[in-house]
Amino acid sequence: MTGQRFKQISLDGLLRNNPTFRLVLGTCPTLALSTAAFNGIGMGLAVTFILICSNVLISLLRKAIPDAVRIPAFVIIIATFVTIVRMVLDKFIPSLYESMGVYLPLIVVNCIILGRAESFASKNKVLDSALDGLFTGLGFTCALTLLGMIREVLGSGSLFGLQLWDFKIGFFSSSAGAFFVYGMSIALFNHIYAKVENKIRSKNFAVRIMPSPDLADPQNTLAEDAEAIAARTQSGADAVEAKERGSADAKSNGGED
Amino acid sequence: MKPLVSDSPHIRGKRTTRGIMLDVLIALLPATVVGCIYFGGAAVASIAISIAAAVVSEVVFRLIKREKIKDILAKFDLTSVVTGLLLALTLPPQAPWYVPLLSSVFAVVVVKMLFGGTGKNIVNPAITGRVFAFIAFQSVMVSGWIAPSIGAISPVAATGASGAVSTGATELTSMLGGNELSVSLLDLFLGTGVAGSIGETCKLALLIGGVYLVVRRVIKWEYPVIYIVVTGLVASAIGKDIGLFLPSILSGGLFLGAIFMATDYVTSPHTRAANWIYMALLGVVTAALRAATKIEVVSFAILLMNFFVPLFNAYLRPRVFGAPSFAAKLKSKLAAAREKRSAAGKEDAQ
Repeated sequence: MTGQRFKQISLDGLLRNNPTFRLVLGTCPTLALSTAAFNGIGMGLAVTFILICSNVLISLLRKAIPDAVRIPAFVIIIATFVTIVRMVLDKFIPSLYESMGVYLPLIVVNCIILGRAESFASKNKVLDSALDGLFTGLGFTCALTLLGMIREVLGSGSLFGLQLWDFKIGFFSSSAGAFFVYGMSIALFNHIYAKVENKIRSKNFAVRIMPSPDLADPQNTLAEDAEAIAARTQSGADAVEAKERGSADAKSNGGED
Repeated sequence: MKPLVSDSPHIRGKRTTRGIMLDVLIALLPATVVGCIYFGGAAVASIAISIAAAVVSEVVFRLIKREKIKDILAKFDLTSVVTGLLLALTLPPQAPWYVPLLSSVFAVVVVKMLFGGTGKNIVNPAITGRVFAFIAFQSVMVSGWIAPSIGAISPVAATGASGAVSTGATELTSMLGGNELSVSLLDLFLGTGVAGSIGETCKLALLIGGVYLVVRRVIKWEYPVIYIVVTGLVASAIGKDIGLFLPSILSGGLFLGAIFMATDYVTSPHTRAANWIYMALLGVVTAALRAATKIEVVSFAILLMNFFVPLFNAYLRPRVFGAPSFAAKLKSKLAAAREKRSAAGKEDAQ
């Protein structure tokens, strides 16, 4: 596997195709189990484990599973791992098992897992699928933990079970608060995402302003260069950019001379 | 003389959003003053915090949106002041400072500004702010009620001394719980000795404000009347006792909700007929929910019905100018049917 491929899969899972904020998948456990940060981590890690295992197995069996019955086959594989996780949690972390309640067996029909099986594991190699499962699961875990932290701090005044203060806003513990925090987080995430993406794009495809003959003249001082370019560009923001670029160009010109 | 060329409309009314909101503020003045007298400094502080938070959060939101200060001031239409005041009037007087603050910010920023500002909100900001406070600070909103400083004029003998009446619960909740009224109907009307939100207890002050709004033609008189009467009738029907009519309309926040909140232009239907149905349904929902939940639900009922307003506007549209009215359409339809029948009768006779 190349580094390029690794970078693509990891960024896809964590940010670009973040199941919670970008794809809006698996909303039911997100809303129900983000009341506390610890619940979020527990749910996220359980899903991550099942996602990795099911992705690997489905990827291994991708040539054996007939196309017509692939969904039942996927569900059986996922259900197997969910049952294993349930038994393990029930035995070793009963408190988490209790607090996750019905949402643990419901991982079987979690659309993140089924979605990754359908769109990735059934078409890709084993190692790629395992990585995809890991990073998608981690993206889900991060999102759930983040929502859980916000709701826990505001709704019960604690963080990871640690009491911070007595001030509580019950709204954030209720389901109405879950929808509110979720919606706000999606909006904020996509706002920041769009900004960053724009910045990267403009960096990669920046139109270089060619220095005109008179600007390349070493007699001109740097300030004059910048002003001349600024005067030519129209909007203020462009002018500032051009100023910087212009002075940089002039500098390099000066160096060559 | 040079002819002035301009687009329609050529005649403009003098009414502005700011003017109407000023009227609403004036109408709320009696209730505010009475609330401050009844509940003292805590009520004054609550109202001040709420209004300040509403105005400041609106201005800050616009600054974040990079609007210029000059534009913000020019566009400032007093709606956030009305929202802040209305919200404070629905809160318990003893609420800690952060309750009016946070609910007010929620009402203005989340309910109004995020949906696009004045006139774009789908639910009433003040009502939603109160519902937020109710869900967020349940302990304050359920048991934080205190009796006003002015005792009942004629307390019912059984409950004993005035001033000790109804601490921890409003008159309405104790009545819905099946208890006898501890104050007379006159006290309920004047709000003396009645625990409740800052602005909801004195019905007289609210009525004065309502009459002012009707006189200034800000609201139509029949809208709150329909709401209040239907609520009373349905409550009596559910309790199978017509004697429940007056207590159920005079207790709780029904007057405040009916006069000032249900009639909000943005969140009520466009046409007059639609408004009648809307108000009647509000009454039914309020009375039924009160009976089912045993708590005050005027705010929840209005919030719930706000979501149906687009439905009203989709199906009960205003008549296009020049088109036949509903009655005329019905008439012509009936006439057509009669003609058909008589024609059929003639054929039969032949």
